[in-house]
Amino acid sequence: MNEVTKKTLSDIPADLLNIPAREFGFVRSEDPIMDANFETVSRGFFKDAMFRLRQNKAAIAAFWIICAIAFMAIFGPNMNEYHFSEQFSDYLNMPPRIPVLENFGIFDGSRLVTNRRLDSLENPEKFPEGCIIGYSNPHEIMGVTLVDVEVNYYKYIGAEEEYFWLGTDHMGRDVWTRLWRGTRVSLIIAVLSTMSDVIIGIIYGAIAGYYGGKVDMLMMRFTEILNSIPSVVLATLFIMMFGTGMWSLVLALCLRGWVGTARMIRTQFLRFRGREYVMAAQTMGVPDRTLIFRHILPNAVGPLITRTMVAIPSAIFTESFMAYLGLGLAPPEPSIGTMLAAGQTVLMQYPHLTLFPALTISVLMIAFNLFGNGLRTALDPTQRGQE
Amino acid sequence: MKDERMPILEVENLKMTFKSGKRGRKVTVNAIDDNSFKVYEGETFGLVGESGCGKTTTGRTIIRLYNPTAGKMTLMGRDISGPMNRDLRHFLTDNVSMIFQDPIDSLNPRMTVEEIVAEGLKYHGMKDASQRRERVLDMLNKVGLTREHASRYPHEFSGGQRQRIGIARALVVKPKLIIADEPVSALDVSVQAQVINLLNDLKEELGLTIIFIAHDLSVVKYFSTRVAVMYYGKIVEMAPSDELYRHPLHPYTRALLSAVPQPDPIFEKQRQRMHYDPKVDHIDSNEVRTMREILPEHFVYANIPEFERYKTML
Repeated sequence: MNEVTKKTLSDIPADLLNIPAREFGFVRSEDPIMDANFETVSRGFFKDAMFRLRQNKAAIAAFWIICAIAFMAIFGPNMNEYHFSEQFSDYLNMPPRIPVLENFGIFDGSRLVTNRRLDSLENPEKFPEGCIIGYSNPHEIMGVTLVDVEVNYYKYIGAEEEYFWLGTDHMGRDVWTRLWRGTRVSLIIAVLSTMSDVIIGIIYGAIAGYYGGKVDMLMMRFTEILNSIPSVVLATLFIMMFGTGMWSLVLALCLRGWVGTARMIRTQFLRFRGREYVMAAQTMGVPDRTLIFRHILPNAVGPLITRTMVAIPSAIFTESFMAYLGLGLAPPEPSIGTMLAAGQTVLMQYPHLTLFPALTISVLMIAFNLFGNGLRTALDPTQRGQE
Repeated sequence: MKDERMPILEVENLKMTFKSGKRGRKVTVNAIDDNSFKVYEGETFGLVGESGCGKTTTGRTIIRLYNPTAGKMTLMGRDISGPMNRDLRHFLTDNVSMIFQDPIDSLNPRMTVEEIVAEGLKYHGMKDASQRRERVLDMLNKVGLTREHASRYPHEFSGGQRQRIGIARALVVKPKLIIADEPVSALDVSVQAQVINLLNDLKEELGLTIIFIAHDLSVVKYFSTRVAVMYYGKIVEMAPSDELYRHPLHPYTRALLSAVPQPDPIFEKQRQRMHYDPKVDHIDSNEVRTMREILPEHFVYANIPEFERYKTML
């Protein structure tokens, strides 16, 4: 080590080693600093977020799915001539039948009727002309041959001119109309309750997290007390007090739902509260309100957006769960939950009553999750420029 | 000589303690322990010391991000240590501003450069947006940024550029006193020089007084008129910059100075590092240690026997 240093020192010419100190001066210290313009295009924050959101194929697909479901929720019920509470007592539990698709073997209104006498197939009173698609499983009981007959149920009961797109339920109400009307109600409940969760949660959490100390302590203890009451009991009491209906459901849902949001916002505020840019703004006399909503909140919303997007389908779920318990909307008003609750009792006989609402809620759930994830990534400034 | 100059800021017996721990097991940290100093108009007052010695806390207490536990601070004849109210905050924002250490963390990533720099003006009663914009662009120009940069977001800039945005933000409100909290410690050396020179130029141009907080002694020497050395919340030595480097008296100061690297390989090989150990380097005595003036303007924190010893070292 020592030798290496000596060697390198001796390699340097002597006149270079012995420059007197006064000959050294500062280079460029007098030059004014002038930066060049950036060559890239200036892009605003939201413009940039939109750009990155568009890059995310799954999020865009999810967005369009949500839009489509929302569109159907608004216009779906008016697409056919039936009304959601209109009961056709002759047409109970009809299978799905859709005009053009029926020619391709799906949604053709077919149903398997079991244990019919083979000889009755010829009887036009029992089986009207052309309603039989086929039969199977012939078996003999007490000397009579029985078969399972696949029939066009619409022709079978003499309703050939009717088209119930997704069939009818046990009271003869059109499932299509009820499904979209139910989706509409469920979405409204979910969006309203999530919105109020978010608004209350942000304000509450922001105050607790921003001011900290005793304020924070008291506010957080209050949420813990609120959180210790079982939510179902709370909702039950609420609905018993104010009766079933959309508004009491919304209130019951957001009575406790905001606690989670408030806690998350509080944590975010604790995280961002001590950042230097917040202090810098504070030294410039920026008022508390602006600090909270202009400086801290926009940087803290990332997890909030994802949370909100997940909260919407989970609110739909909670609503369905309440409906299961009989705390749902008052009939005849449908919601996805009440439809599922009614459908699952006859799941084996009439699967279409459960299938369509279940599909809708599943697709909605996946779409909201994907879209929420995409939105969070897009709005996160630390992810900028990575795509 | 001292009396000719106007002290812009007088700090007397400033104390700042932080409490931590819960129920019964309270821990009190003396971040600033009974310090007094004056900052004169037009000077650069350097504050050096190791990490955690209370330099930053001092700066933040002066601008009242923290409420001082005890002591008095007078800025331009007005007491600024009292309870915080609107009026006092206005007075402080009008006259003091701060440059922060971390060029990444000190700019809000969701705001454009123009918004960041203009924010101070907005709360200084400059309501007219176009007038504000003029001022901001003018200031950006002074720190070497162009009009085009105003609409950009902080993440598009390099560390040095961001720090210059921070400087623009601090200076745009035309303060009398700037607290520069390690403004260059996060930058690499060539950019450090650029930022320091810029600060120097602006200081002369705008007639600023700067409290310069740093741990890099060579930067402080280059930049400061007077330097105070802090150790564990206490100012142990305070002197004009050249004087301090010529006659470091307090063992901690000497230990610090012995650690400054020199651009000279031969010197570096023979360097004798001094270590400061408060148990060994002090003379115990019944006297209380206070700031004692050993030479004009040169103060050292010592008791009488130590003071006598320091005198012999001059």
